[in-house]
Amino acid sequence: MITTVVGNYPKIGPGTKAPNLRTAIGKGDRGEMTPEEIMGVRAQVTAEVIQEQINAGIDLVTDGLIRWDDGQTYLAKAISGFSFTGLIRYFDTNTYFRQPVVEGLLKWSKPITVADYEFASFNSSKPVKAVLTGPYTLAKLSQDQQYHDQKRLVLDLAEVLNQEAKALQAAGATVIQFDEPAILKHKEDFPLFQEAMDRLTQGLNPTLALYTYFDDISGVYPAFLKLPFQIFGLDYVMGKANWDVVKEVPSDVSFGLGVINARNTKMETEAEIADAIKRIAPIVPTERLYINPNCGLEFLPRETAYQKLVRMVEGSKKAVEVTA
Amino acid sequence: MSGLLTTSVGSLPKPPELQAARNKMLRGELAREELEQMERDATAFWIKSQEDLGIDILVDGEMDRGDMVTYFSELLEGFTISGLVRSYGNRYYRKPIANGPIGRKKPMTLKTWEYAQSLTSKPVKGMLTGPYTIAEWSFNEYYSTFEEFVMEVAKVVHEEAMDLERAGAKYIQIDEPAASTRPEEMELVAKSMAVVTKGLSAYTLTHICYGDFEAVIDDLNSIPVDNLDMETANQDYSLLELFRGHKSSKHLSLGVTDVHTHEIESLEQVKAGIRKGLEVFSPEQLFIGPDCGLKTRTADESIAKLKVMVQAVNEIKAELGIA
Repeated sequence: MITTVVGNYPKIGPGTKAPNLRTAIGKGDRGEMTPEEIMGVRAQVTAEVIQEQINAGIDLVTDGLIRWDDGQTYLAKAISGFSFTGLIRYFDTNTYFRQPVVEGLLKWSKPITVADYEFASFNSSKPVKAVLTGPYTLAKLSQDQQYHDQKRLVLDLAEVLNQEAKALQAAGATVIQFDEPAILKHKEDFPLFQEAMDRLTQGLNPTLALYTYFDDISGVYPAFLKLPFQIFGLDYVMGKANWDVVKEVPSDVSFGLGVINARNTKMETEAEIADAIKRIAPIVPTERLYINPNCGLEFLPRETAYQKLVRMVEGSKKAVEVTA
Repeated sequence: MSGLLTTSVGSLPKPPELQAARNKMLRGELAREELEQMERDATAFWIKSQEDLGIDILVDGEMDRGDMVTYFSELLEGFTISGLVRSYGNRYYRKPIANGPIGRKKPMTLKTWEYAQSLTSKPVKGMLTGPYTIAEWSFNEYYSTFEEFVMEVAKVVHEEAMDLERAGAKYIQIDEPAASTRPEEMELVAKSMAVVTKGLSAYTLTHICYGDFEAVIDDLNSIPVDNLDMETANQDYSLLELFRGHKSSKHLSLGVTDVHTHEIESLEQVKAGIRKGLEVFSPEQLFIGPDCGLKTRTADESIAKLKVMVQAVNEIKAELGIA
């Protein structure tokens, strides 16, 4: 059993040693700090949140996506063909992102996250998971003024992200995660989604993870678990129906069990976490389990995010003792 | 014939020195009374400005509120406040946390409303945040379901509305900007609003924004208030098309000036907007205001925008022969 996080981690918090990123960006806006200096602060914060995850006892860490404003723009800015428009709500959360606009044919022109992955690996004593937003979600959250054909748009993005993943593979990434929350809100698109996932994963050797959140996989189960990935991340907090829906898991896949609510400050108890693990164990044995929050941790204050990870690790240990 | 009453959504810009004074007060460098005096001065400035502009239904401008949910959660029992969370870009806020039963210790908005109303013979709107929005913009560590949380908050917002009415408020606005977050919960928005407005004889309004309303237009019409206050100018009045197909007996506050641009709308632009509103609603049904609170604009920009709005209304009223 491996403990991990889903992706982002709160960027600022009390009592941290790295410079405050919010202050730095504010200074940048007033012309008091250069973009290079701000990138330097982001690097320091990244190193710090990696260490914070390790201190909490996380086995497989991410770089916290400290350089990302949101799941879409960081990638879209570096893909040729995108521009940007107004802020829109991210699913049913109280966070907003600047909506990407597809204005030209989408092309991968250079590595986007490879230097970030290398930096994180260098600064982590634990294995690092690379995280990308998947092509379907990226397409769904963008405004299309070019393709007027969802299928072509999604498949072109799958190609772009496949190239990015290949660049990560060349840099030595051993685990690459793709986030696809949007498919759970548009299950009628599942045939296209399957095609996109095939294209996305062509020629990739690292362990591949597909993470969903904010809902359950009813309606696309069991086909969902046959997509070409080795790890499936499912939300058991907001997608409680997953308990009833998922009764059998292919023996060659692992499971990302989202059991910590990353959208509310209420602390889970060790017993609740251990119980969830015990409940899933007959379906997925613990050696094929990843334990993680239900989604990225940035909806929480930094101190709560850390406390929740500590609790998650303790609860997981307790479950292992009981099931052993 | 009457109609086309002018109003504002709620917030108006604070003088820059007021924010600085609030920070000083929080650091203990300024007495609370001094801050409150500055807030009253700023309120008086806006009451006078709105009277001079010729606006019909005034607002106090929310000089004493930082944010529309945190303001209430700090005054209510049962809430604490979280560490910083990010909403977008470099914007962070502290989110209320419900960790006990929600209750009202004493009236929250009454003193400011009474002060504002004492300065003018025009009606001043009582301004509240709705229960769905207060709950949706908070963490919940206490109530076992979100619905229970919303319905408990509704009770305290109702108490506050009753106090405003007893003090003489003729107009009470209960804002629900979060109402459009999840279309499937619009029923809960209406159900909790029914608790808030039950037994009120004051005229009630609700401001709702940021939404895709196509799927929920009928639910919107079922929210038990007299007037729906919507942002329309920043969407080129497309929302009116939805109302055209779903005739409502409700009144509508039509947003005719975009609060997110520095640019001052032209007289013709605003008049065209009002005419679009009149294609779907009668003059008696239609109130005219900005899209949203003006607090993100400067005082000069706000006054200029409101001035164009009032002039446009006056010219159209003259054309229609409305007194």
